[in-house]
Formats: sequence, C-alpha cells, structure tokens
Amino acid sequence: MSGYYSQIIIITGINILLAMGLNLITGYTGQLSLGHATFMGIGAYTSSLLTKAGLPFYISLLAGVLIASLFGLAIGMPTLRLRGDYLAIATLGFGEIVRTFLNNLSITGGPNGIRAIPLKTDLTTVIILTAVCFYLLYRLQSSRLGKVMRAIGQDEIASEATGVNSSYYKIMAFVIGAGLAGMAGGLYAHYFRYINPANFTFNKSIEILCMVVLGGLGNPFGPVVGGVIISILPEALRNISPVVSQYRMVLYGVILIVMMIIRPQGILGGNGLFINANRKGNFKIFRSVKGAVKNADS
Amino acid sequence: MGKRFYLALAMVLVVALLVSACGGSQTQQSSQPAQQNSSSQKSESKGPLKLGMVGPLTGNTATYGTSVKNGVEIAVDEFNANGGYNGQTVELVAEDSRGDQTEASNATRKLIEQDKVFAIVGAVLSSETLTAAPTANDAGIPMISPSATAPGVPEVGPYIFRNCIADNVQAAQMAEYAAKELGLKKFAVMYTNNDYGLALKNAFTNTAQNLGEVVGVEAYMDGDNDFRAQLSKLKQQNPDALYIGGYYTEAAKIAQQAKQQGLDKVVILGGDGFYSPQLVELGGDAVEGAVFTAGFFSGDTADPVQRFVSAYKAKFNAEPDMFAAQAYDAANIVLTALKAAGPDSKAIMEKMAATKDFPGITGTTSFDEQGDAVKQVLILKVENGKFNKLR
Repeated sequence: MSGYYSQIIIITGINILLAMGLNLITGYTGQLSLGHATFMGIGAYTSSLLTKAGLPFYISLLAGVLIASLFGLAIGMPTLRLRGDYLAIATLGFGEIVRTFLNNLSITGGPNGIRAIPLKTDLTTVIILTAVCFYLLYRLQSSRLGKVMRAIGQDEIASEATGVNSSYYKIMAFVIGAGLAGMAGGLYAHYFRYINPANFTFNKSIEILCMVVLGGLGNPFGPVVGGVIISILPEALRNISPVVSQYRMVLYGVILIVMMIIRPQGILGGNGLFINANRKGNFKIFRSVKGAVKNADS
Repeated sequence: MGKRFYLALAMVLVVALLVSACGGSQTQQSSQPAQQNSSSQKSESKGPLKLGMVGPLTGNTATYGTSVKNGVEIAVDEFNANGGYNGQTVELVAEDSRGDQTEASNATRKLIEQDKVFAIVGAVLSSETLTAAPTANDAGIPMISPSATAPGVPEVGPYIFRNCIADNVQAAQMAEYAAKELGLKKFAVMYTNNDYGLALKNAFTNTAQNLGEVVGVEAYMDGDNDFRAQLSKLKQQNPDALYIGGYYTEAAKIAQQAKQQGLDKVVILGGDGFYSPQLVELGGDAVEGAVFTAGFFSGDTADPVQRFVSAYKAKFNAEPDMFAAQAYDAANIVLTALKAAGPDSKAIMEKMAATKDFPGITGTTSFDEQGDAVKQVLILKVENGKFNKLR
C-alpha cells in the first residue's frame, strides 16, 4: 500500500483511539471534558523523551499511557466533583497550564518542540492497538462497569441513590480515557517524528469532541465512524479535483453542519448500532430532516 | 429510508461533480507519469514535469502560503516561457496545509506519491516544515522551504534545504554593519518578548559585545504603547544606537518617544520587522535615518527585482512581500538544478547542494553543508520618508 494511504489510515487509527477515550468520559459518564488533547500531549512528550533517551518503543509507549493516566487521576480527583460547565472550564484550564509548561520547560524544547524522534509507529501497530482497544471498550459497554457508567451519565442522582459510588466510576472513566489519549499521543509522536505544543491545543480537543459527537455520544461504534469521517474527509476532498481542493475546508464545514442538522444525536445515535435497529419498524441510520429537528428541539 | 437525506446527498454530489468537471482539464494533464524521461524532443508525448508546493492556503496563516505560492508561480511561468526543460514544461501543483502539521505531512505525501513531483517548495511555517520534511527526505524528494526559520529544519536530512534568513543571522549582520560601517560603539537594545524578539536580541548583543559595548537591554510586550520607563533607563547610559528587535508598530512608537526624551542623536537600528511602509507613516520624522535588515526590497532598482515585481503586480495585482520573493528564489534554485541535472530527484538534490553564489532577488545565495542558505542580508535606510538600499 502506498505511504499516502497508510498515513491516512494511521491518522484515522490515532483519532479513533482519542475519540474512544473521550467517548468513555463524555459519552458514557456524561462529563464534558475540553482538555482531551492535553493527555495526548502528555503521552506524546513522555514517550518521545523516553525513546530518545534510549528506551525501547513499547516500554516508552506504555510509560506515556501510564503518565497520561496519572495526570488523568490527578486532575480527575478534584474536578470530577464538579459537574457540567464547571468541569469543562477546569479541563480547559488544565490544558492551558500544561501547554504553558510545555512551552517554557527546557526539557520539552519550548515552542520549538522535540525533533528527530525515531520512526517506530507503523500501520500494523496502529491497527492492532486500535482494534484491541475497540474490542475492550465494546465489551465494556455491555458489562456491569459499562452499565454503571452509562447510568451515571443518564442520571447521577438516581444512580447514587441505588448505591453506586459515582465519583469512583467517573474518575475511572477519566483515567482510562486519558490513558488511551496518551497512547494515541505516543503513536502520533513516533510517526510524525516531530512534536511541539501547538499540536495539542484546545483546537485539537474540540476536533476530538467533534468526532465523538458526530459519531454518536455513548455509542461504542460512534468514535469509529466519527474518527473515520473527520480524518478522511479533508483528504478525500483534496483528491476530488483541484477546484474542490481549493474550497475543501468550506465543504468540510458545510458537511459537518449538514450532518449535525440531519442527525443531531450523531450519525449512529446514542444507543449502539444494533440496539435500536428495530425501533420505528426498520433499521434507520438516517432519519428525515424534519423528524430530527423535532428531536433536537425537545 | 430518509428520502430527504438522499436528496441532500445527491445535491452535494452533483455540486461536487460540477465543480470537478470545471477543473477537469487540469487533472487530465496530470495523468501521465512525469519522470519518464527520454532524450526525444516530442514534448506533446510527455506530460509536464511537476513541481510541488505545500503551505497554508486557507486558515489564519493563509497570507504567507498564498504569497509563497504566487512567488513560485512567477518562477514557473518564467521557466516555461524560456523553453522549460528541453521543451518540457513544468507544472506547479500546490497543496493546502491549513497551517496544520499533520495536514502538511499528508499533503507532502500526496504530492510525492500521487502527483510524482520532482521537488517541493515548502512548507511555509516552521512547525509544518519540521513535520513534513522527514517524509520528503525519506522519499528522496528535494524540499526547500522559503520561510521556516526555526532551528533544525535543514538538519532533517540531505534532501532538505532552506532559503531564508534566520533571525540570528540578520541580527548578527546588523551588529557587524553598525560597528564596522556606521562606526557605532555603544549599543542599547530593546526587544519584544517573544521568540522573534528574543532571537534578534541574543544574536545582536552577542555580536555587538565583541565589536563595541552593549550598555543596556530592555524588554517590552507586543502592543505596548508606553516605552518611556525603558527609554529613560537607557538614556542614562548615553548610547550611540538603539537596536529594536521587534515589529514596525512598536518600533515607530519607540522611535518617537526616544526623540521626545532627548535621545535624538541615537541611530535607530532594526530587523526585518521594520519592513513596512507603515513604519514611516507611524513614525514620521522620528524614524528618519533608521537602518534595518531586510530579506527583500521591492524598491530595489536592480533589473531582476523590478522584473519580478512587475510580473507579480501584473499577475496578482498586489505588491510582492518577502515570502513571495524568497519563494521565487527558492523555486528558481530548484528549476536551475532541474535544467542542469534533468528530472531526477537525486541529481537535482546534488545540484542544489552545490549551489554557489546563486544570483537571486533576495541576495546571492549559497548553501552550507547542511543545506541552509548563506546570504548577505540587505540593509535598508529610511531617507526622506523612503527606504533606500545601503547594501
């Protein structure tokens, strides 16, 4: 396969990993996190500094995952007592703090970033890791843990009333999500061989959130669909023709808007590809504009 | 199934089809492999050779990318008008990166693998160049950035070149010129506190310390309006010259306030951040006599510069800036190598690396062993409210 296509598949895989992690946090337990790219950055910096120090790739990748999870734990413990907007602002602030540190520490190279990271990530690694993580998260969905997380997301007070320690599960989701982002960051850094703080800004966090919302919040297939669309669309538009390529970012925006009008609950909706297959009589991936707008209003 | 969705989808597809049909003539040209070269002169049997360009053509850094693309376009037009490579024309394939690092790398791969370009001019921003350059270097395609000033760009590999003036180089050359040619001895320095200002300040003070004396260094922030505190501190040291490592907006204000404070004998020195007609409009009399370094001077009376400026104005109805000029030179370096070596990327790389005293519109250019441009920076002076070339 040509390097161009394998590069796009690698980017897609990395984005799916990021989106799956955020889906666990935002889709399942209902915590709006706006700092997901920060965990990616922590994973990317940790693993690339370690590989450059001479550690084997898989060990430094694992270290990236662990450090990102650790940060997830550290930021999750105090902030997950906050709800909704407050958590969003706290994660936003966390992202800015980390970015400022990355920009000013000498070990991270400041705004110049880290260069000449060895090329370690390949297509097979990304596909295997993405598939394994997807399988685990898919199994999680129907497990007790997944159901508890979903219950917290739907009604935290009700689930507390039934004896669920909601903080514990929220933090658990946050830590797992951060770890996945850390892995994605490590894979990213060892593929592009250059990272700087501008890779992991608020914009990237929003892009990840976009994938999750577009695919369908809380749906295990949602991040896959959202990740594939957001990653491939700009490149696909680039290749249609030179003229389309000129306006591709306009088309990209238009397509996203149109999709959100048609399917405000995400392409797959909230409850899984197969669970609501029989609702309203048939397998409806796409509903009519009118019905969907009505849903959004209510 | 949602009929309206399919209606919308169909509409989008129809629009896409129409748009792609409009651009179809361009895509057809590119279907032939460009690099199969034989000595035959039948140009109609061969597709054009392709030169790639990567940079932000959309997004908030699009002005830089567009300037670079325009500059390369002028160079390609001239090359084709002069007969191309043995009658074979060169076609420019420009790809957008949005200023995004990942996309710059995607675009570079696309140019190399789908379009089979023989060389790439780009990328434009430092961060995207550092991400895209390893891809080009691994593929063995020469890549020359007209504007990535960050450290480490040419070090990526033998196929990576750079044709621009690094911040530290221009500041060091300014210090040298001021001490040796202008006879200045006591320097005060003010700089804007970001990576640009910092690089200028460090290089200027390092060189000036060896050739004279640096009597004071003061920082300010972009957007500041009042510099009197810093200036009165510097005034006590009685400097001959004030080097301002920053942009023209603040520099004009600093010059005015320096004059008000009685620092009217000091010579104002600066970097390429001064290069804008706004400097004189804002600074008025206060910037008269200011001396600064620049990568390009569109008022230069030299023939090649005027030819470029008029071609640029005719084609794009705009004044060329430094990015366009450096891109024009970069593209000409590549095209000269193509003419000498033929459409073989390795041979082009070797020819480019051997470039010595290339006469461009941004000064004569040679490459050091890393592939970084070594050139003499232009030095301009404000005289009667106009820029004049000193060197």
